[in-house]
Amino acid sequence: MIPTLFGVTVVSFCIMQLAPGDPLRTQLSAKGEQGKSSGTREAYLIQKRDLKLDKPLLLNFRNFHDYRESMRAAAFFQSRTKNELVEALTKLSGSPTDAESRRRLRFLHELDIDDFDERLNDPDKRERFAVAISGFVQIYCENTGEYGVPAAIELLQSSELDRRTKIGLIRCVDLMVVEAHQFVYSRNLSDSETPLIIRVWKTWWDREQHTMSPLDPDRQAVLKRQLATMSGEQSRSKLFALIEDEFLFDLPDMRFFAETLLGESTLAEKSICTIILNLYVSRPLENIAKPSADDAEVQQVTENWLAHYEPRQSVYEPSFVSQLVNVVADTQYAYMVRRLVTFQFGRSALKTKEPVSEKLWSAFIVSAPLMLMAQLAIYFVSIPLGVFCSVARGKLIDRIVSLILFFLYSVPPFVAGMLFLLFFCYGDYVRWFPMERLHGQGSDEYGMVRYGVDYLWHSFLPVTCLSLFSLAALAMYSRSSMLDVIDQDYIRTARAKGVPMGRVIYVHGLRNALIPILTLFSNFLPAMLGGSVLIEYIFNIPGMGRLSWESIQQKDFPTLMALVYVQAIVVLLSILLTDILYVFVDPRISFEGQGKR
Amino acid sequence: MSESSVNTPTEQAANAAKGEAYFTIVWRQFKKHKFAYWSLWMLAPIFGLAIFAPAIASNQPFIFFDGDETLYPWFRAIFNPDEPVDYFFNMAMIAFVPWCVLAIVSSSRWKKRGIPGRSRVLYVSAQYIAAIVVVTLLFMIPGIRPNNRYFSRQFVAEEFQSEGTHGIYPPIRFGSIEGDLPSAYQPPMYRKAEGMKDVNDGDLHVMGTDDIGRDVLVRMLYGTRISMSVGFVAVAIYMTIGVIIGALAGYFGGIIDIMISRVIEVVLLFPAFFLILTLVAMIGPSIYMIMVVIGLTRWPTIARLIRGEVLKQRSIDYTYAARALGSSDFRIIFRHILPNSLSPALVSAPFGIAGAIILEAGLSLLGFGVRAPTPTWGILLKLGNSNYEYWWLIVIPSLAMFFTVTIFNLVGSGMRDAMDPRLRV
Repeated sequence: MIPTLFGVTVVSFCIMQLAPGDPLRTQLSAKGEQGKSSGTREAYLIQKRDLKLDKPLLLNFRNFHDYRESMRAAAFFQSRTKNELVEALTKLSGSPTDAESRRRLRFLHELDIDDFDERLNDPDKRERFAVAISGFVQIYCENTGEYGVPAAIELLQSSELDRRTKIGLIRCVDLMVVEAHQFVYSRNLSDSETPLIIRVWKTWWDREQHTMSPLDPDRQAVLKRQLATMSGEQSRSKLFALIEDEFLFDLPDMRFFAETLLGESTLAEKSICTIILNLYVSRPLENIAKPSADDAEVQQVTENWLAHYEPRQSVYEPSFVSQLVNVVADTQYAYMVRRLVTFQFGRSALKTKEPVSEKLWSAFIVSAPLMLMAQLAIYFVSIPLGVFCSVARGKLIDRIVSLILFFLYSVPPFVAGMLFLLFFCYGDYVRWFPMERLHGQGSDEYGMVRYGVDYLWHSFLPVTCLSLFSLAALAMYSRSSMLDVIDQDYIRTARAKGVPMGRVIYVHGLRNALIPILTLFSNFLPAMLGGSVLIEYIFNIPGMGRLSWESIQQKDFPTLMALVYVQAIVVLLSILLTDILYVFVDPRISFEGQGKR
Repeated sequence: MSESSVNTPTEQAANAAKGEAYFTIVWRQFKKHKFAYWSLWMLAPIFGLAIFAPAIASNQPFIFFDGDETLYPWFRAIFNPDEPVDYFFNMAMIAFVPWCVLAIVSSSRWKKRGIPGRSRVLYVSAQYIAAIVVVTLLFMIPGIRPNNRYFSRQFVAEEFQSEGTHGIYPPIRFGSIEGDLPSAYQPPMYRKAEGMKDVNDGDLHVMGTDDIGRDVLVRMLYGTRISMSVGFVAVAIYMTIGVIIGALAGYFGGIIDIMISRVIEVVLLFPAFFLILTLVAMIGPSIYMIMVVIGLTRWPTIARLIRGEVLKQRSIDYTYAARALGSSDFRIIFRHILPNSLSPALVSAPFGIAGAIILEAGLSLLGFGVRAPTPTWGILLKLGNSNYEYWWLIVIPSLAMFFTVTIFNLVGSGMRDAMDPRLRV
C-alpha cells in the first residue's frame, strides 16, 4: 500500500513535470510575455514561489553550496550595460587567465545555456547573447532564492566590491527575495511579527527623523484620542473606513505614530500605527539602487537589506541538522507530496483562481449519483441475468440473451449515447428524452417530487449508456462463473438432499459464483470514472469526466494533477475494499495467520 | 559448444512437434466456434477495403489522356501520400499481386517438403508484411522514394473536367482530403444538380458528405486504414512490452519481481482512458503518438497475466531439464517458457485491438485525435455530435465501428474458447 502510494505521487509528479512548458509561463503568456510588466513579473514570481517551482526536483544541496563566487559574477553581469557586457564577453571568449574572468566563465557555464561555447565565440551573435545573458542571470537568481542571500549580504557589507558591482548585487538580492519587508501586521495579530516590523520602521525612522518637525502638544493629544478610538474598534472594515475615509492626518503627524510604534504601546496600537504609516509614507525603504546611485545611496540600500536580513538570520542560516533535512524536504517533490497527502490542491490555474478542491467537489456531486445509479443498474440487472442464463443453459432463451449481451458488449458506450440521442431525443416525432444536462430549465422552482422526476428523466439515458457495456460484460462473466459452480459436486449433493431448486441456486450456487465476480468490482469503478469523460461530454453534464476534459484542454494543471491523484486513490481504496469483502463472502479467506493472501 | 550442438536439433524437433500439435488443436477448436470462424474470414474484406481504398476511391485517374500526352496521376498519388500509414497500405496494395504469385509458387515447392498448407500461407504472409514494413520505412528516407518526376506533373481538379480530355477513373471519383464546399453536409444518395458542368456518374455521394463536402464513404474507407493500424500497432506495442516485462518479473522473481509488480500496480491505479487523454493532450495530436501512448499505458494487464503464467511454468520439470542441460536464462525464457505461457495474452489481443479502435475514435471525438485532414471514423462522429441534424455522420461510423468491434470480439472469444477452455463463456 505505502510503496504504491509513493508510486502514485511519483506519477502525478511526472505528469506535472511532463507538462509542456512552464505551467506558470503558459498561464501568464495570455497577459503578455513574462517579465514585460513589473506587475505580471511579480505575480509570476509569487506564484513560482508558492508552487516551489524554484526548488530542485528531488534533492537539494544548495545549503552546502558556496554562493559567494557565483554572486560576485552574477552581480557583475547584472550591473553592466549591454556594450560593456559585449566587451566582457569578447574578453571571455579569448580564454583569459586572470582569476576574475575565470570565475565569471565558470559562472556562465553553471547557468547551463544551450550552445554556450558556440554563442560565446561567434562575434556576430555576441550582442544578442549579451541580452540573453542578463535574462539567464535573472532566472538564476530567482531559482537560487534564499540560499544565495547570506553570501550576497556578506559581499554587500565587505569592501572588496566596487560601487557598480554592488548595485548589481543589490539587484540580484532583489530578484532572490520576494516581498522583502513586512510593513504591516498580517490579519491575525501576533507578537512574533513585531521584531520584523519594528526593525523596518526603525530603519526608516532613524533616517527620516531629522526631516520632521516636532508636533505641538494639542495635536498630539488629538492624535492620541483618535488612536484610542481606533484601537477600540473591533471590526476590521470599520477600522479601515475610519483610517481611509477621512483624511485625518498630515505627513508631520507621522512623527507621533512612529514614536508610538517604536515606543511602549499595545499590539493593537502598533498594528494601527503600521497601517497608517504604510498608507502615508511612500516607499519607506528602497530595495533597489539606481544604476547612477552614489556611494551613500548604495550604503542606504544595503542598510535596508540588512533590515530584512538580520531579523531573519536564523532562517537564512539554518543549523546543520535542518540543512541535512532540507536535502530531501526542501524540494519540489517533497512539497508536492506534502500537498497531496494533506489534500491541499491549491488553486486552479485558470483566471477564476477557484480552489481546486471546490471544483472537484462540485463536479463530484454531479457525477456521483449518476455513477451510483449506473453501478446499481449493472449489479442488479447483470447478476440475475447471468444466473437466469446459466440455469436455462442451452435453451433458446439462453442463446438469444447471450447473443444480445454479446452485441451490447461490442457497442462502445459513447456510440450508444450518440445513437440514443439521435433516435430518442432529436427529430420530429420521437422526443422522449431531453438532449443534454441533468435538469430542465427552471427546475429550481419545482417541488421535491417534480424535481426528482425531472432529474430521473434527464439522467435516464446517461445512466443507461454508462451501464450498458459493463452490464453486458458482467452478465456474461457471471453466467460463466455460475456455470462453473453448477457443475460442482456439492450442488448435486444439495439437490439430492431435496433442497428446493431456488434455494440451491441462490444460496449454494450464487454465493460461490460471486467470489470471482467480486474481483471485477474493483475494476468497474475506475472504468466508470474513465468512461464517463465521453458520456459526460456527449450529454453535456458538468461532472468529473467533463471537468477532466476541460482542465486538459485549458491546461489547468493543478486541477489535472488533483484529478489524477484523487482517482488513483479511489481505485486504491476500492481494491482494498474488495479484498476486505472477500473475507465476508469467502470463509476460506481470512487475514489472520495462514489464510493470509 | 559441444553441448549446444548435441541439444539443438532434438530440442528444436521437440518444440516444433509440440508447437504444431498445440496450434493444430487450437485451430480445430477454433473452427468449432462458427461465429468466430466466420468473423475471422470477415477480417479479409475489412483489410481488403483498407488496402485497396485508393483503387476503389480516388479523385486521380489511373490513366489520363490530355490530348497529346498520357499521364498516370493515380500512381503518382500512390507513391506520395501524406501519412506513413498510407504508405504502408499503398505498398501492400502494390505488393498484393507479387504476393499471390509468391504464395502459390512457394507453397507448391514446400508441399514437396511436407509442410502443411496453413503454415506455408502464414509464413509467406509474415514475409510479405515484413517486406512491406521495410519498404515503408525505407521510403520514409527522402531520396529513396520514387520521385515525382516518374509520374509527370500534378493535377488540379479543374483540369480533369476540361474539354477534349478523358481518363480511366476508379469506381468512386472522390478524394479523401479534397472537398467541395458548396455540397457540404448533404444527406446520403446526394447527387449534384443536373446541368452543372462536372456532373457525371461517379458523382453520387452514396453516404452523403461531411463538413467541407468530402464524400463520407471515401472518408470511411480511408478511415479503416487508420483504425486498423492504430488497433494492430498499439496492441503489438503493448503486447511486446507486457510479455517481456512480465516474463522477466515471473522468471527472476525476488527484488525484480517486487519492483515490477509495484510498477504494474501503480500504472493500473490510474484510469486508463484518463491517463491516455492526459498524455495525448500533452504530446499533441498524431496517430502515431496515440499508438505509442496506448501501447505505453496498457501493458500492465498483459505483464500481470504473463507473470502469473511464467511463475507457474518456472517450476515445471521441463524448465529444470532445460537448466540442467545448460541453457541460458534468455534461452529458457524465450524458447521454453514463453511459448507455453503466451496463450492468455494472445487471447486478449483481439479484444485489445477492438478496445484500441474504440479508444482512438473516442479521442478523436473529444478533439485529441489525429490532425485535421486525416480521415478517421472518430472525426466523422465528432462532426455528427456537433449537430444531430446530420444523422448519417453518426449512424455510418457507428455501424462501421460496431461491425468491426463485434468481429474482433468474436474472434477473441473464439480464441479464448479454443486456447483456454477454463475461460469459456
